[in-house]
Amino acid sequence: METVYIDKHVELVNECRNGNRKAQFELYKLYANAMYNVALRIVNDDAEAEDVLQEAFLDAFSRIKDFRQETTFGLWLKQIVINRSINYLRKRKLELVSLDEVEVADEIETDFEETTLKVDAIKTAMNELPDGYRVVLTLYLFEGYDHEEIAHILKITENTSRSQYMRAKRKLNNLLETKGVAR
Amino acid sequence: MKDKLEGFVKDNKKQFEVNGPSDKLWAKIETELDKREKPKKSFKPYQWMSIAAMLVISVGVYFTYNYRQANNIDVADINPVFGQQEVKFVNQIEQKKDSLDFYAAANPDLHKRFTEDLKNLDEEYERLKAQLPQSPNQLFTVKAMVKNREMQLQVLKQQLMIINQVNQYKKEESSI
Repeated sequence: METVYIDKHVELVNECRNGNRKAQFELYKLYANAMYNVALRIVNDDAEAEDVLQEAFLDAFSRIKDFRQETTFGLWLKQIVINRSINYLRKRKLELVSLDEVEVADEIETDFEETTLKVDAIKTAMNELPDGYRVVLTLYLFEGYDHEEIAHILKITENTSRSQYMRAKRKLNNLLETKGVAR
Repeated sequence: MKDKLEGFVKDNKKQFEVNGPSDKLWAKIETELDKREKPKKSFKPYQWMSIAAMLVISVGVYFTYNYRQANNIDVADINPVFGQQEVKFVNQIEQKKDSLDFYAAANPDLHKRFTEDLKNLDEEYERLKAQLPQSPNQLFTVKAMVKNREMQLQVLKQQLMIINQVNQYKKEESSI
């Protein structure tokens, strides 16, 4: 999504380098919603997501001189947002690697063939996931990072990222199924 | 590794997005941006003003110093030999003045006239000194200044002689 309109924003980014307030607002308007969703999916709290967003934009604007156009502004900003969000989680003393429950049969892929997928149901279920599961799941499913990148972001091993993701999926499936039954 | 969940999320990504942050958020960011910019903005004119003030002061000090230097040339600045001579004369003048003050105490009228003579010479000296910086021939002026001091000394010597004679005369008169 970002890649489509990024190149058009080179001008805006350049104006931001000169501290142009209007350009900063334009960039904010362009990215605020998407970035808010990124943050919210990780921290799972409206107020904290806004805090993350505020800090991330301020950080981005003050460091915009360091932004070399090797990546798009959107991806660069997203990295800032994700890092800040994870910092918030760490402040909550989150164990980014939850080793609870399922110890066996990690290798078996959970397939959702039997599960009815609904946006709202998935959202609710994700909110109920432990933080560690949710983060890996959202980074992989929604932000499109691979396990190598997730390992780098969360400072865990690639294998841990992989198994966390599998457990997260299984847990999600369970939640969806129980919800489905409850209905 | 495309599975049902991944496909579903991909296809419905838009619907997963909730509304953005509250409208107040930009205002907050803007306030923070202002805060970060303000010290820069308010500091800069202040800095420039202090730099300008320092410049004005140092230039002022420099010129007053130069002006004073230029208007306060001593004999020694033009010619050290004359300078030494003048210092010698001035020392002697001071000594003689002291003696004169002592002896003349008994003759106030005489002392007053003597002082006036010296005062004229001194004024002449100050006039020469004031001319010195702009003088076309500073050496000439300096010579005149030293000459003036010498004359002052001569006058004082004569005055002392006179006053001594007067005192002598008075003593003789009273002893008769």
